[in-house]
Amino acid sequence: MLMNRYSALVAVLLAAGAVTGTAQAQEGVSEGKRLYDASCGSCHQADGGGVPMLQPELIGRPRANGPPGGVIDMILFGSDAMAENEGDYGNEMPAFSHMTDLEIAKIATYVRTHFENNGGPVTSDDVKPRRAR
Amino acid sequence: MIRNIFASVLLCASSMVAANPSPMGVDEAAPVDEALGLRLPAGFKATVFADDIGRVRHIVAAENGWLYGALMRPNKNMGAVAMKDADGDGVAEETIFFGRGLKGTGIGIYDGYLYYSTDVSVIRWKLPESGEPKTEPELIAYGFAEKRQHAAKSFALDGKGGLYVNVGAPSNACMTKMRTKGSPGMEPCPILEEFGGIWKFDADKQNQQQMKEGVRYATGIRNAVALDWNPHADSLYVVPHGRDQLGEFFPEFFTPEDSAELPAEEFHKVAEGADMGWPYSYFDHRKGERMVMPEYGGDGKMVSDRGQKPLAAFPGHWAPNDMLFMRSGKIPAQYQYGAFVGFHGSWNRAPFPQAGYRVAYVPMDAAGNVTGDWITFADGFAGVEKVMSPRDAKHRPMGLAEDASGALYISSLMSGGRIWKITYVDE
Repeated sequence: MLMNRYSALVAVLLAAGAVTGTAQAQEGVSEGKRLYDASCGSCHQADGGGVPMLQPELIGRPRANGPPGGVIDMILFGSDAMAENEGDYGNEMPAFSHMTDLEIAKIATYVRTHFENNGGPVTSDDVKPRRAR
Repeated sequence: MIRNIFASVLLCASSMVAANPSPMGVDEAAPVDEALGLRLPAGFKATVFADDIGRVRHIVAAENGWLYGALMRPNKNMGAVAMKDADGDGVAEETIFFGRGLKGTGIGIYDGYLYYSTDVSVIRWKLPESGEPKTEPELIAYGFAEKRQHAAKSFALDGKGGLYVNVGAPSNACMTKMRTKGSPGMEPCPILEEFGGIWKFDADKQNQQQMKEGVRYATGIRNAVALDWNPHADSLYVVPHGRDQLGEFFPEFFTPEDSAELPAEEFHKVAEGADMGWPYSYFDHRKGERMVMPEYGGDGKMVSDRGQKPLAAFPGHWAPNDMLFMRSGKIPAQYQYGAFVGFHGSWNRAPFPQAGYRVAYVPMDAAGNVTGDWITFADGFAGVEKVMSPRDAKHRPMGLAEDASGALYISSLMSGGRIWKITYVDE
């Protein structure tokens, strides 16, 4: 009985946490879109379609569907984050390391949850340790 | 007597008009031929000369009847293509890929040689009697630093031994911090020492290094993918790509509309030693003035005295990727002396629709003066009425060439790669 009550309490707490988490994620996404449009959209385009041969499209890309660092590193370090043979594009991407961890997390979350990507959200805690890399 | 003089002036004026009618652009009300994927002025017809040939950039027609193209990315491991329409139906039946392991943009012919440029060199082959070159290439110019941005070494040949190579600046506006909001420009811009201009070489001499035997012929040019020697006026002309993202980096000075329209794509006659102003200034075609670049203290209103004014100007970000003066003498008189300019089309005009995606014509006289407003000679390439994202464009004009009969060829590297052949039929 005690255990059942405890389990129920945990379940309620978990559910509440999930709800709060979802709300935060949604808020983060709209802010993420605003940040994306302002800092990324002119090159990668509002639809994430990029520019053929010049700037990568972000639609269904491995970096946006894999481990959290994939998109974060691109934002932090720009083209320097790319492997020698990764992609085939004429333009160079600057580093956006002047942005806060939270801003970068919001942009990365937006990219990883839009443009047919399912990498899922990331947080500031995912960004912070990658700055030192 | 006075009346006679007046009458003869009138006669003279009217005969000039008859001899030199205005060139006609596309009829905006006419439909785009969807099978062909383009629209032309009345009197011209087109065929799809070649399809699915890969990422074709600049093209050139040889007197041997073959059309040669440089491929920006290898096709079947080859960086160039030779095509021939033997039966004269406007469609090439023969396609031969050559240039193993190469990739490039520039291609041209001079004195029995086929010239070709990669991002780091200019080479040439002995022009074969037909088909692909049969001899090993010779290295003409090399030592260009390997960069990612604006790396294409498009070139022009003056027909008397001069080779003019575009060395694009690996930069947007020489910012201290690459493409970063509000970053100031470097003064002086160190990039101009090795980039951002036209370098001249001896077309007949092997193994010339850019910074040794090469001569900086002109400067202040961000990236002139479009350049040609005007054989009528005996001078180099360029249409460089203007800088990107004024409004994104300096929103306090430029509205999104300003940023879409500015800076103008500039059409220049280039004498030796000329300075086109990059990165210190840009041309505002709405004001008709060169303006100080915001990286160098400009605010969208401050006029600059650095750089020459262009002879003509196009709206911003249209991306001029080739220019062609006609040489055959077999085209209608009104297209004889002017410049065809191929615009790849913009990516940098959001939130407004993207624009360009056409071939324009700048009317000129034999002395190389611009004589009227530019017109749209061919459009409809994009295949959609409004291009909101560049990937939606089916085709984007790239290279231009003229053959001995006066036919004009236009390449596109999109959708597998295509070349159109355009002839004057006057029906």
